[in-house]
Amino acid sequence: MSRFPEDDMAPRGPYPPTEEMLNEPVPQELQEAQKARLRAVWKTPEGWRYWSAVNNTEVGIWYTMTAFFFMLCAGVLALLMRTQLAVPDNTFLDADRYNQFFTMHGSAMMFLFAVPMFEAISILLLPAMLGARDMPFPRLSAYGYWCFLIGGIFVFGSVLFDSAPKSGWFMYPPLATRDEGIGSDIWLLGLSFIEVASIAAAVELIVGALKCRPPGMRVNIMPLYAWYVVVVGGMILFAFPPLIAGDFLFELERSMDWPFFDHERGGDPMLWQHLFWIFGHPEVYIIFLPSIAIAAMIVPTVARHPIVGYSWIVLSAVGTGFLSFGLWVHHMFTTGLPQISLGFFSAASEAVVIPTGIQLFAFVATLMVGRVKMTLPMLWIAGALAIFVAGGLTGVMLAIVPFNWQAHDTYFVVAHLHYTLFGGMVFPVMAGVYYFFPFFRKKLLSERLGRWSFWLIFVGFNLTFLPMHLTGLRGMPRRIFTYPEVAGWDWLNLMSTAGAYVTAAGFAVFVYDLLRPKGYQGVIPRNPWGGGTLEWSHDVPEEAWGARSVPHITTRYPLWDQPKLLERIDSGRFYMPDALEGVRETITTSVIDARPLVAQRVTGPAWITLWAAAFTGGAFILPTFSFYTPAIICAAFAIICVLYWLWTTTAQVPTEPRKDVGLGLSLPTYASGPNAVGWWAVFITMLGDSTAFASLVFGFFFYWTARPDFIPAGADHATGLAVAAGILLFVMSWGLTVGARTLNRRGSVPAARGALVLAPLCAAGGAGLVILSVLPLDPVSHVYPAVMWALMVWLVAHTFLGVIMQLYCLAGSIWGKMTPRYDADLCNTTLFWHFMVLTALVTGFILGVAPRMMP
Amino acid sequence: MLVSAVVLWCLVAALFIYVTRVRTGSMPRRWAETLIIGGGIVFPLIVLSALLVYSLPQMSPQRSEGDGLVVRITAEQWWWRVEYLPEGSDTPIVSANEVRLPRGARSEFVLNAHNVIHSFWIPALGGKTDMIPGRETFMSLEPTKTGIFRGQCAEFCGASHALMAFEAVVMEPEDFDTWLAAEARDAVPVPAEAEPGQALFEREGCGACHAVRGTSAIGRVGPDLTHVGSRKSLGAGILPMTPEALADWIGHTGTIKPEVNMPSYDHLDPDELRALGLYLEALE
Amino acid sequence: MNRMSGTGEADNFREERDSLWRLIFTPTIWTFHFAIAYAATAVTCARHGGEEAVDLLRTGVIGLTVVALGLILWLGYGAWRQWDIIEDRDWENDQGHNEDRHQFMGHAAFLLAIISFIGVVFVTLPVVLIGTCR
Repeated sequence: MSRFPEDDMAPRGPYPPTEEMLNEPVPQELQEAQKARLRAVWKTPEGWRYWSAVNNTEVGIWYTMTAFFFMLCAGVLALLMRTQLAVPDNTFLDADRYNQFFTMHGSAMMFLFAVPMFEAISILLLPAMLGARDMPFPRLSAYGYWCFLIGGIFVFGSVLFDSAPKSGWFMYPPLATRDEGIGSDIWLLGLSFIEVASIAAAVELIVGALKCRPPGMRVNIMPLYAWYVVVVGGMILFAFPPLIAGDFLFELERSMDWPFFDHERGGDPMLWQHLFWIFGHPEVYIIFLPSIAIAAMIVPTVARHPIVGYSWIVLSAVGTGFLSFGLWVHHMFTTGLPQISLGFFSAASEAVVIPTGIQLFAFVATLMVGRVKMTLPMLWIAGALAIFVAGGLTGVMLAIVPFNWQAHDTYFVVAHLHYTLFGGMVFPVMAGVYYFFPFFRKKLLSERLGRWSFWLIFVGFNLTFLPMHLTGLRGMPRRIFTYPEVAGWDWLNLMSTAGAYVTAAGFAVFVYDLLRPKGYQGVIPRNPWGGGTLEWSHDVPEEAWGARSVPHITTRYPLWDQPKLLERIDSGRFYMPDALEGVRETITTSVIDARPLVAQRVTGPAWITLWAAAFTGGAFILPTFSFYTPAIICAAFAIICVLYWLWTTTAQVPTEPRKDVGLGLSLPTYASGPNAVGWWAVFITMLGDSTAFASLVFGFFFYWTARPDFIPAGADHATGLAVAAGILLFVMSWGLTVGARTLNRRGSVPAARGALVLAPLCAAGGAGLVILSVLPLDPVSHVYPAVMWALMVWLVAHTFLGVIMQLYCLAGSIWGKMTPRYDADLCNTTLFWHFMVLTALVTGFILGVAPRMMP
Repeated sequence: MLVSAVVLWCLVAALFIYVTRVRTGSMPRRWAETLIIGGGIVFPLIVLSALLVYSLPQMSPQRSEGDGLVVRITAEQWWWRVEYLPEGSDTPIVSANEVRLPRGARSEFVLNAHNVIHSFWIPALGGKTDMIPGRETFMSLEPTKTGIFRGQCAEFCGASHALMAFEAVVMEPEDFDTWLAAEARDAVPVPAEAEPGQALFEREGCGACHAVRGTSAIGRVGPDLTHVGSRKSLGAGILPMTPEALADWIGHTGTIKPEVNMPSYDHLDPDELRALGLYLEALE
Repeated sequence: MNRMSGTGEADNFREERDSLWRLIFTPTIWTFHFAIAYAATAVTCARHGGEEAVDLLRTGVIGLTVVALGLILWLGYGAWRQWDIIEDRDWENDQGHNEDRHQFMGHAAFLLAIISFIGVVFVTLPVVLIGTCR
């Protein structure tokens, strides 16, 4: 056993706990008193205040149900489309409405169901799997949820007003940029808003999986689900920002007429396709991996044996995460790119089969060595496997370029993608609902109805989509609202339509089972499936505290392999069994070995998150109708709300510098720098932000390779001197921020404040000069000046944020929220400015240097 | 490829059923490792490498240069502007909504689009290639049997994407040459019963958008109608080429093809529409 | 726990972060190989396109492949040693000790090296088999 060093901000006391310490009983009265205090602290608000809750169990359930609701809505659209296609030359839907429906079906299934569902389920389950009390940033989850709800209703609701986007979920310009009406704007702004929420959730989940594990849960024994969360979170960070950058350019073209995708003024519609699919292909794996993660939790329980090939599964998750970024052009094989380029993507698309295969074979291997007990969740997993393997095999075929030229944009692809998504997402999620329902509702779903639902959906699904392979090979293209009788596709389509109704019946059975009253069941067993991971240590009946005490974990399946674990958790023998100060807390630990680091305060119920989400929604939604002034006012209020929320609840100067968390361990109550969860959140967010910026830079070089008239001969450039001076000021602002942190740490508070006064002035001056430098250029005239302006807008918007952060620290220093010892805010601001100065330098290079050097 | 996919699927399914239903008891650990390494890495590695080495060079035929004939196709919303450039010629022979090709020769397609992205595809003859505004893409096809094949737009291009098709007619080389020579000529004189239609065509200003070579109609906005009567279909592959269909189309363009640029001439009475139909059908 | 004792928490942290990054070294090599090959092809074909340019591109990409494979082999060998399978025959490394964590990281990094190796070889195939920009 080692002891932590006697440092002021370091943990103190014995760690890990000895068996002897753990055997010490906790007195009964103390247990009751602790429970009462914990219950009071973690109490879910009642009555109408219920909606101010931020706890992961509440937010997770709202999130899950909302995403599921959107799935049902999008499913209804699918049924209507199938009805239209049942017979040739049908007139059930007209072209315009059909086009709105298929656009909305795809967009909603992707953005309002598949990705949010992963986030929802993870918010719900991850803390329980990690024996954590809550997510590290509960209010951020709540904010993300409300953003999702507002954005989702706004986007989906447009269908009811006949004003939905109708250019396909991929929104290819020029069709989408030239679309009259507000459909395209609804798509762009509404979904950008949701993407921001997705990134927020990804940040939170990564930090949760890396920093909020229970003591002792090293990376080699954490639940596979947590590994997948880290990988998928990372993928979201690198996949969504290119789309956000694309949306940014797209909306600038729609509202300001800057010609990024207009070929007549030097733009290129292909840039959108690249940015969209750099997002779009990893997206498929972002959907698929978390669902496989659910399977990775169910399979060992069913096999009654630890997972075989844990490292193999980790490898395949990480490997898939990487390789999936090398596949995007296989959506663009027909766009006339050079053969060698196509070959790269064909090869990478085949390579990704290997990690995916390893994942599936690891499951089969586990079932092989275990003693299998078929349960209802496993039935769904079996269905998933059957369907996914078929989808994977057609995927191998589609990665072959000549075959792809034939099958691309036909019903063959429709069949393929539904096979991968049903097998890789819907079926595993259904399995997850059946498996985890006892965990989050403390009731069981019906075995009999579950089998009915399974067989209806399984048969219906195959009846719908199996014939589509043939329909596609017979030449039926996608996205057509009608087809002539001569084409010979009629009986295949009729079959598909019939299958769609059978599938819908299966979902109806499931919804009935989900919603029917289950009060008659009484108290259910605590661990009905006999699982071995921590979520099955949940309390029945429900308690809002998450974990009665945070256990010390030394095995992959603690409920199977750590005797007396449950009883010790329940008696409060482990860490943080109490809430003496009356505040919500959880333990944060180190990334690799999960050594306890900090007793982290987490936030409780609040309305401010709802207000912040509502104003953010206004800022995104109002510009759709060209209400720019109200939108700016909303944005200002959103910023004020967020500042209020940060100021009042995050990184508070603690009353006591450290506290006893049980088992003799004393942890600091405050952390700054890399020990603080907030620092990680800023770091991860800025990685995503930099990816979006890199996408803009990619755009600049893309135009240069793709367009002979880029940069136009004799074009005006940004004023070199202004750019140089501006960037210099940015570097100074960065230097002053770093200096302020150092000075503050040393205790030279006045000097630090001085630096924090000068830094925003420098930043503002720098931004002003950069604006001046591009003023002579006319962004409407050609794509080259438009790109310069876009980079300027990006830099200025970030400067605005950076200045707010600097002033926030200054205010914190003046009003005692930040001291030389408690300087998390300033650390985070400095981190932001590291990224900021990099952005400024690259922008300066592209504005001032690159165009003058390029041939 | 499809067959091997089906076989592989059956193998995996059988294995799964075996371990979950037939032999639910515990099997040796070593088998599990063998399964992961063999099924997860070795087997796919061999199959995929073979597939890649075999398939990568297969791209080239469709990207190789043609034997002489170049067909330039420009996609419009929602029809096809077709121009033939026989070997050595640089005056295009203009047609629309129908592609004719000689059998046994590799013809090259130069593809472009006017305002949004489309995709050119004749399923029975080969793969598709996108048509992108501001870019020129190309492909080549070598039909091996004569016949009439359906072609269509494969990239979503707006309201009437579903109604953007065409006929591809593959002919014996000598027939093709005869046909192309006829296609290059001005419009034939129409018989007497079609003359009222011609007068109506001029009166209604159809020539502002459509060209009928050898007459006063020289518009370039819509499809060239010089030999429209000899085409297999009407309205970009959606209606038969009959006087009745022509009359119906001119009178109800917007209902037949939503959001089409051509206005509906519903102010004309049925007799007038029929006269127009007769005239156009006579333009062989 | 002996390996840990006597070192400060800051040292621990540095070591930990080091190993997480090491896990993704080899796929990162794949990423760079892929991105450079793709960008070089795009620029060559869009800006030059002649036969000589394509030959130069092929030589360049194959050279890059050799470097990438060498790096992956080297890192993979290190990971293999860290996994230490020959000596202790422990495939799962599922216990809560430093040694298990250490060997697990080695195992995962080794497997990722294999995948990255295959990935790099696959991505090089088009350059070898296709000799034209058309």
